[in-house]
Amino acid sequence: MKIKILLYSFITFLTVTIALAFTKSVYAKQLHVVTTYNYIASLTRQITGNSATITALASAQSDPHFIVPKPSHIAKLRDADMLIINGAQLEIGWLPPLVRQANNPVIQPGNAGFLDLSQFVKMIQVPTAVSRSQGDMHPEGNPHFYLDPHNILLLAHAIYDRLCVTAPENKTMYTENFNVFNNNWKQKLAEWDKLMQKMSGTNAIEYHKLYDYFLVRYNMTLVATIEPLPGIPPTAKHIASLEKVMPNVSLIFQDVYHPDDAARYLGKKYSKPIIVLPHDVGATKDATDIFTLFDAIVRRIAQ
Amino acid sequence: MKNLQMFIMIITLILFHTILPVSAQDITSSAPFSQAKFVPDIAVIVDTSYAYNSQKDFIKFERPGFIHQHEETGEHHEHGFNQDNGFNFNYAEISFYSPVDPYFDLFAVVHAGTEGAEIEEAYFTTLQLPFGLKIKAGKFLSAIGRINDRHAHYWDFSDLPLVYQAFFGSQLNEIGAQINWLAPLPFYFLIGAEILKGQNEASFGTEGFEFASTAPYSPIEDAQYPNVYTTYIKTSFDTGKLTLLLGTSGIYGKSRINHGITNTNGGHAFYGSTYIAGADITLRYDLNSYQYIALQSEYIYRYKDGDLYKYNGTNTTKDDFTARQSGLYSQLIVKTGKLTRAGFRYDLLAQNEINESDEAKSYLPRYTAMVEYNPTEFSRFRLQYSYDKSLYDESGSNKVNHQIILQCNLSIGAHGAHSF
Repeated sequence: MKIKILLYSFITFLTVTIALAFTKSVYAKQLHVVTTYNYIASLTRQITGNSATITALASAQSDPHFIVPKPSHIAKLRDADMLIINGAQLEIGWLPPLVRQANNPVIQPGNAGFLDLSQFVKMIQVPTAVSRSQGDMHPEGNPHFYLDPHNILLLAHAIYDRLCVTAPENKTMYTENFNVFNNNWKQKLAEWDKLMQKMSGTNAIEYHKLYDYFLVRYNMTLVATIEPLPGIPPTAKHIASLEKVMPNVSLIFQDVYHPDDAARYLGKKYSKPIIVLPHDVGATKDATDIFTLFDAIVRRIAQ
Repeated sequence: MKNLQMFIMIITLILFHTILPVSAQDITSSAPFSQAKFVPDIAVIVDTSYAYNSQKDFIKFERPGFIHQHEETGEHHEHGFNQDNGFNFNYAEISFYSPVDPYFDLFAVVHAGTEGAEIEEAYFTTLQLPFGLKIKAGKFLSAIGRINDRHAHYWDFSDLPLVYQAFFGSQLNEIGAQINWLAPLPFYFLIGAEILKGQNEASFGTEGFEFASTAPYSPIEDAQYPNVYTTYIKTSFDTGKLTLLLGTSGIYGKSRINHGITNTNGGHAFYGSTYIAGADITLRYDLNSYQYIALQSEYIYRYKDGDLYKYNGTNTTKDDFTARQSGLYSQLIVKTGKLTRAGFRYDLLAQNEINESDEAKSYLPRYTAMVEYNPTEFSRFRLQYSYDKSLYDESGSNKVNHQIILQCNLSIGAHGAHSF
């Protein structure tokens, strides 16, 4: 008897779910875009306006290399019409099983619903030889390319192009939005470039090779990283070796997710300012969208 | 003779002159038939350990009603790791993965130990099925339970919980097919079902058996068709840093378990039906990218109903047999930093009702604690201590085993990320 009740309730549940799914597929006109990181969500929003549902999987407080892959991510990917990723193996440690388990053919790599942004920018620090004896390497180069504000236009263009393929009925609106974004971004670029001019030639250290595209863009020099090798936490020996270069360093960059004790130690000992920088939209309170992300970075460095 | 040599030389020169390309650069720049770029992702994981057991013969002991050894037939139900005192080479796992074409992914895992290599898993999965469906077929670890489909290098402890060892030998690893459906709901809800060959010797088995010539019973035939059916549901909810994962699974199959039915010394065999039901809960709190606390519990229940055959050297007897057995584990894992983890596990084989009457030894506990140091994601050193009160020797007296394992697990190559 109990089993019968259980069975009936289960069948009812299934029927309701299937009915829900059916209604959803008939009435859901909104394009559903899932992005790995918040900056991609914010960038996509510039082009889609309110015409799409956009969900970012990663928390902006987390290390982008080590996002916890949760079952709820699988549920989000299941109904996605598009998945936009950073690529260059930044998501290699957490995304592949989620995409596989999402049972969604549309967003599988190789299909139109899957977009890898790393394909559209020129990568730096591409290693000539790849070995894990050199730490957590990215064979395709440094994956944090989106932190160069000049790369954002290339990424926006790639997203715009792909949106026009997946939802061609919205092409006019996307074009309009993209042009507006393009103009606004170029104005901001001029503003940021001007502010950053005075920083040219400045030496900096950072925890991880996170802001290198930004540093290269504004002719700043990365003297050393607080971690001895990518993904390996600082050792006492490595900190001692950093102390030799500290007198030449003007700024210490610290992201929001790595421990900051090494930075604080060095900053205090050598009286160098520690600048806590957002690495993604939402990482700090003032980085609310793709514009204010770079406003926040530039303001903190150039002040 | 000299003429012949000259002739060969000239012929060789002419031949090579025509075969060799004009410049050396052309040789290096062309590899028209090279398929090197199509090499699948390959990884090798090596696991070794150093073990100490206070009971030197612990491997011969049994967990009464659940796991017993048959010296005379050479059957060992546990092919587990870390079984020798001193150094152990547990395994080298070689895994391959690549998309086959736009429609399928293919995975293969070769598990090599000191006694040889075997295919642990080799299966394909579909990529393009609509409606949230996916099919998997081949040889694979069943998706039942919380940890059944996890490879050894991804276990939280150096060994499996007792309940897995008791009901599946280690894990339910079968040849068959699986279908799962991810429901179109705003939260994670997965339903799956499997049809399996059912070769698992701890609970099922496909090989029939014959009785001694004096027995009045007709032989039990081999299973001709898939023998075991499973179904499972997994669902999850999370709010920010806290994630809850719930699972439940059921297994039904025919059992053909033969422990030397024609052997004079206590031969017995079981033919009947086995039902297994399990439920699991995982609660994980992520403090940040590098630290978390995870509580995980799993309960598995087994009901066997059929005929038990016994042989004493002259006569074979047949009796109705039912067994209600269950076990559980509860574990707490704390990732204290990017490189370190610690954990505690409570293991219990709890219930052992044979033919509706409680067996005396129906409470078999084990306590395990571990600390881990992971220099990178690719290397792991684990020190594990367990206090095992579940073992009994041949005379039926309880033997406490203190076990210490220092485990080293290293991986190279391209190994895929793990899921939650």
